[in-house]
Amino acid sequence: MTEDYKGSRILLVEDEETLAVGLEYNLTEEGYLVEWAKNGREAIDFFKSGRFDLIILDIMLPYVNGFEVAEIVRKADPQIPILMLTAKTESGDKVKGLEKGADDYLTKPFHLRELLLRVNGMLKRKSWYKGSSEKQPVFKFGDNEINFETLNCRHGEEEIRLTPQEAMLLKYLVERNGEIVSRKELLENVWHLNPDIETRTVDIFIVRLRKYFESNPSNPVYFKSIRGAGYMFEEK
Amino acid sequence: MRGKHSLFYHILIFVIAQLVWLLLLGIWIYWYVSNYIVFEKVGEEVSPQLIYDVQNALPFILGLILLIGLSFTTSLIFRHLNVQLRITELYDNFIGNVTHELKSPLSSIQLYLETLKQREVPVEKRKEFIDMMMKDADRLQSLINSILEISAQEKKKLLQDYRVHKAEIIVKELIEESCEKFRVEKENYRIISNAACEIVASKDALKVVFDNLVDNAVKYSTIQAKIVVSLICNSKKVEIIFSDLGIGVAAKEQKKIFNKFYRIYNKEIPNVKGTGLGLYRVKEIIKAHNGKITVLSEGEGKGTTFKLELPAYSAMSKRQLKKFLQTEKLRGA
Repeated sequence: MTEDYKGSRILLVEDEETLAVGLEYNLTEEGYLVEWAKNGREAIDFFKSGRFDLIILDIMLPYVNGFEVAEIVRKADPQIPILMLTAKTESGDKVKGLEKGADDYLTKPFHLRELLLRVNGMLKRKSWYKGSSEKQPVFKFGDNEINFETLNCRHGEEEIRLTPQEAMLLKYLVERNGEIVSRKELLENVWHLNPDIETRTVDIFIVRLRKYFESNPSNPVYFKSIRGAGYMFEEK
Repeated sequence: MRGKHSLFYHILIFVIAQLVWLLLLGIWIYWYVSNYIVFEKVGEEVSPQLIYDVQNALPFILGLILLIGLSFTTSLIFRHLNVQLRITELYDNFIGNVTHELKSPLSSIQLYLETLKQREVPVEKRKEFIDMMMKDADRLQSLINSILEISAQEKKKLLQDYRVHKAEIIVKELIEESCEKFRVEKENYRIISNAACEIVASKDALKVVFDNLVDNAVKYSTIQAKIVVSLICNSKKVEIIFSDLGIGVAAKEQKKIFNKFYRIYNKEIPNVKGTGLGLYRVKEIIKAHNGKITVLSEGEGKGTTFKLELPAYSAMSKRQLKKFLQTEKLRGA
């Protein structure tokens, strides 16, 4: 399962020793190289001093909490996948985590297989996105310009910074220019079939893309809804 | 219990306020109807008689009473509502904290069980994982016990095994156990005692007290926790002075830290885990021992000292001894 991503470097940020030891063992068994930070301060130091492919981040951390760590990491690296792992289950916390830059969210207690699948999925998405954006880092349509590496975009004179998830969705649609893409397909390939995310999530992200890149979001020209089928990106 | 009382007070105040309001409204209507002729003339001749006439002044005073009464009732309702909101907020925080404290060890146990089921784990690692699971199971048990015991303690249904102990021996033994449990190295704690006196205490309850104090000293220290415990005896009481060099307690928080669910927030050490029950439980245990606990701290960053005062066995009256000890348990330790 993790054949392609063996040797990926994972920063594990968890202050509960018993949980961290078990996670470190399992991730190492999967072939990943794991570094364990016991608190928010250590996590930031580790992140600044090393290169990581993925971060597993707890929220309730001593000194600097997980939300703040995610914010700092996201400012420095817009593309590194962050998986939030926490005992907090309120939807507000989930939304806040995603807003602060987390790509996925897993609540404790979790199943080992689910965690490993998500880690693998996130590394897979990162690898696809990296390979894809290296081929064509800048993409232009209408009066929009998108840089898939820096995630900085322009709509006319307006500057926009995409979140990694928005960028991945946009990249996926752009690569299928003129094709109808179903919500299910988007969930499977962009969100890697996160069972917690409903199809409504796709709609919310499409609305956001329309808001950024359409001159009249209520009458979209580029991001079209195809009734009963899904969405289609069409470059005019 | 407190919730039920608050609800009763709210309803009572509401009913009384409505009755007063209707009664005074009735008086005002009566006063208006009986004086409408005066009102017709009031534009033409404002007579001092109207103001100072005793008959007319009565409803005016009643009107004032109405206003004052309404203001007072509103402020009472507001005050009770505030207290209620504060309790709800603390309770919500408590539920959140307890949920977190329950879920963390549970996740860890689940992770190890799934690991052992799905992987070929070497014998040494297997042993390490089992130790981890036992540690988490202990954590869960102690959290559940603390919640259940607080409830029993509040209802005065908690039976403690009180015995006569040599103060120096029991304090030394319990502090050493707690320091080992919370990983305070031997060079980081010191017990000073020349107290050859006895106390009547429950060893299990005092263990909870010292576990909480040591745990707090560790959690609220920015560097390695350093603890000094001094034992002082006099003819009437035994004083246990527990000092740490942690972040200290601000003056305004010193009164509140023994309150149920209360938790300190310090920007130096944010996100300290806990339930807000620890020091409340400590206070209740010391109170049940006929003792007293106080906190002293010169402020933030200057360490904290807890002073525990317990009655000396030699100074306890027969009535007190009867309350604590069953005859066959005397000199049990």
